[in-house]
Amino acid sequence: MIRVAAVGDVHVDADVVGRYRPALDRLPEVADALLIAGDLTRHGTVEEARSFAEEFGGLRVPVVVVLGNHDHQSDRQDEVAKVIEDAGIAVLEGTSTVLELHGHRLGVAGVKGFGGGFAGACASNFGEREMKNFVATTEEIADRLEAALRGVECDALVALTHYAPVPETLAGEPLEIYPFLGCYQLGRAIDAAPTMLALHGHAHHGSERGRTPGGVPVRNVAHPVIKQAYNVYQLLSQETGDLVSV
Amino acid sequence: MTHQLDNLEAEIQRLLTENDRTAEQGITVQRRENAVVLGGEVESAQRRDEICRQITSRFPEIEITCDIGITRAQAPTEVEEIS
Repeated sequence: MIRVAAVGDVHVDADVVGRYRPALDRLPEVADALLIAGDLTRHGTVEEARSFAEEFGGLRVPVVVVLGNHDHQSDRQDEVAKVIEDAGIAVLEGTSTVLELHGHRLGVAGVKGFGGGFAGACASNFGEREMKNFVATTEEIADRLEAALRGVECDALVALTHYAPVPETLAGEPLEIYPFLGCYQLGRAIDAAPTMLALHGHAHHGSERGRTPGGVPVRNVAHPVIKQAYNVYQLLSQETGDLVSV
Repeated sequence: MTHQLDNLEAEIQRLLTENDRTAEQGITVQRRENAVVLGGEVESAQRRDEICRQITSRFPEIEITCDIGITRAQAPTEVEEIS
């Protein structure tokens, strides 16, 4: 059994430091690792990355993150990632990591992801150069997620993105902005590997649960959606059931 | 009402996203006559108050009702089994 805690869209700046800490101090009692689905900061500044590292660093469990669109706002995403990595937190972007937990190998592959929309209402690689660049970015990122997922050897495989891989977890958002919230190519990448769980954020007004066309459970863990410091998901469970008291 | 107010909801949403002091994409804006109701959640009371300050400063003639909440950050009490 592996228990994974997850949250996204924590948007840390100096004013937030300390808010999560009481719940984070309890986290090792209820989960073996913490995954964070992007938008770690407000504007993607190095100072905010330091605040994030202060709030989410130094836990007694491994922490794995992807960046979100907010973390790119200042065009300093590489420096942001370095500050976070220097705090002992793994930052994934088309890459993966394997965590040894209680004799099980938890594999996590992640990318930020991008928009593009979903089947029947998606952008096409056609027309103006700007539109072709947009869709090419979507496809390149999804291809990197697929390669990262397929390259992991593990007992339980989790996909971690900021943008959504399915429309179901966007329910509650205006339909008009779905193409800015995720893309079907991420779902296709997730289905191309033996993924056990897909986690994303970005959609603050979305819904918690969905599945990819291939049947992989998807959870939107954006902080305003889950309304607590983190959710906990149990993988490789021997028993069936739904909710279990911590 | 000025021409700018014809696109009030869009103007407010872009202001809240693009202004460095707010950078919020998750705020809903509902228009009622000469007033707007703001919804959604942010990470701190300072951010909520800054949102109202920015809108009041840009659109002083608009009455604001702020229903923005602060997202709770307590530890969970349940685990979901994934199967």
